[in-house]
Amino acid sequence: MIKYIIKRVIAMLITLFIIVSLCFLTIRMIPGDIVGQGAQPEIREAMEERYHLNDPLPEQYVTFLKNFFTLDFGESITTYPRSPVFNVIMDKIPLTLQLNLFSLVITIPLGILFGIIAALKKNKPTDHAISVMVVLCVSVPSFVFAALLQYFFAFKLGWFPLLLELEDKGLTLTKLWSMVLPVLALSFGGIATITRYMRAELFEALNSEYMLLSRAKGLTRMQSTVRHAIRNSFIPLCNIIIPMFMNLLGGSMVVENIFGIPGIGRLTVMSISNSDYFLTVAVLFFYSIISLLSVLIVDLSYGIIDPRIRIGGGKTVE
Amino acid sequence: MDENRILEVKNLNLHFKTYSGNVQAIRGVDFHLNRGETLAIVGESGSGKSVTIKAVTKLLPDNAVIDSGEILYEGQDILPMDDKKFSHLRGNDISLIFQDPLSSLDPVMKIGKQIMEAILIKKQGTKREAAAKALELMRAVGIPEPEKRFNEYPFQFSGGMRQRIVIAIALACNPKLLICDEPTTALDVTIQSQILDLIKDMQRERDLSVIFITHDLGVVANVADRVCVMYAGKIVEVGTVEDIFYDPRHPYTWSLLASMPSLNTSSEDKLMVIPGSQPNMLVPPKGDAFAARNRYAMKIDFEREPPMFRISDTHYAATWLEHPDAPKIGIPALLRHRIDEQLREEATS
Repeated sequence: MIKYIIKRVIAMLITLFIIVSLCFLTIRMIPGDIVGQGAQPEIREAMEERYHLNDPLPEQYVTFLKNFFTLDFGESITTYPRSPVFNVIMDKIPLTLQLNLFSLVITIPLGILFGIIAALKKNKPTDHAISVMVVLCVSVPSFVFAALLQYFFAFKLGWFPLLLELEDKGLTLTKLWSMVLPVLALSFGGIATITRYMRAELFEALNSEYMLLSRAKGLTRMQSTVRHAIRNSFIPLCNIIIPMFMNLLGGSMVVENIFGIPGIGRLTVMSISNSDYFLTVAVLFFYSIISLLSVLIVDLSYGIIDPRIRIGGGKTVE
Repeated sequence: MDENRILEVKNLNLHFKTYSGNVQAIRGVDFHLNRGETLAIVGESGSGKSVTIKAVTKLLPDNAVIDSGEILYEGQDILPMDDKKFSHLRGNDISLIFQDPLSSLDPVMKIGKQIMEAILIKKQGTKREAAAKALELMRAVGIPEPEKRFNEYPFQFSGGMRQRIVIAIALACNPKLLICDEPTTALDVTIQSQILDLIKDMQRERDLSVIFITHDLGVVANVADRVCVMYAGKIVEVGTVEDIFYDPRHPYTWSLLASMPSLNTSSEDKLMVIPGSQPNMLVPPKGDAFAARNRYAMKIDFEREPPMFRISDTHYAATWLEHPDAPKIGIPALLRHRIDEQLREEATS
């Protein structure tokens, strides 16, 4: 197991290196002036000096990598001038995380609940209704929901504020209220995905032989569903729930823009449009780490949750 | 009501709703099981034997509809009972062993816990008592090192061992009626006989009444007291093992027996094959369902369904050949020869 984890971590580091290099190259190939048009010549000179912008690209790449591996991610050039990139990101994480956690808190239970209902009522009107909702929510991107929610509930009806309330530092009621729409927009897709998986997995489990045996033991339909079928269908479900932490970060890029949330997603968009390349690479690096880690955690969690892999698969895992 | 009858099925009719129409799976099944007796239900795949016992245990799939009939367990009709009420009987009084031990245990629950669950759900003792009982059962069904195996998962067990666990689960609440649905089909031949012996031992020790579903006549001869032969959702012949094996009357029973190899069958001998296949139960044929495959079919077989003719107090067969006016055909020569041989062997041994 430990050997397996070490292998995976090494592979992860190589992947990260490739990602960072690609990010650097792509960002620098985007046409545009890093310093910003119309800057004073002195300022331009000072900045080019400070960030080695006039060196040949390969040389810049080497300096960049050297700094990167000593965990010096550089500083923001134009978006938040002279602030270390690391601090900028750290500054943005709490808000994004807050939203995403709220979203997950409603996504997972609702998704599981709808999935269970649909599986138990398979091919009945309830199931069909849920399926229609699922198809709708899976296929419509979150920013469309965000825009629609904002238009109807915030603009037309005025029930919710248009933008996120930023005045209050702590979690006040007004802030929570303003978070409702973005959290909803972030959640629909996830709820639908979980519902779809849960329905399929549970339906399969319900028709399995061990369900018959548990009924034969004298468990009622309800008891055997809860004790055996749902338990078994949770295993494959982990595979999609864990990466959801990542998906929500990605999804928030546009949703955050719509609701004016100064989180990681918005930062990404801003840094790219400002050609603030240190910041962009660092943010993308942050995304990559999260996604690679979630894949690793999924793989490891299988071993913890499923006894067939935990005990039996010691050798086959590699 | 006969006190000695633990189970009685009366005129059971059942169909499955499917997209292509209603499949008449069970068409008027009647049988009974006496206390302490082993009844074998034999027939080819699709003859309705598994459906019959699923009806008896109320584990029918949702698209099954019972049209008429009664299923009396100790004189009590179980058909009108709801899930909760019947769940009380199931496990406590009536237990089941299934065909496929490889998939009938919950893959992510420890073996010991699965046995304990059966005991705990019936509130037959505390957790500690249940654990002790589970260990005792595991020992009884022949699991070596039960203490160690208690905390293992099903995938760590072989097929035969899993079937032993399933038997342990079935016996956990000291049932009176044990239903075995082809319990040895998925197992190797050597394991098969071990499992059969185990079931027989358990029956003797615990005074169980057993229904044994199988298509393997060898198994029937080994375990059963009485035999029901099913064809196309009907019981066509019923009798004691001796009746069925030494004095079969229904042409379908003849064909079944003749198509089974015996110890004396040499590799040159050809086994009998039953021509054709079972009728489509979406539109059950008129008359005797077996008529189209029956060499001895008479005109009336295609027109009117034969009633059950009484041969002796224990032996009944649904074939027009038993009608007083029917020509005397008698058992086919090949089968006659084989039965005589067997009788001779038994006489000498």
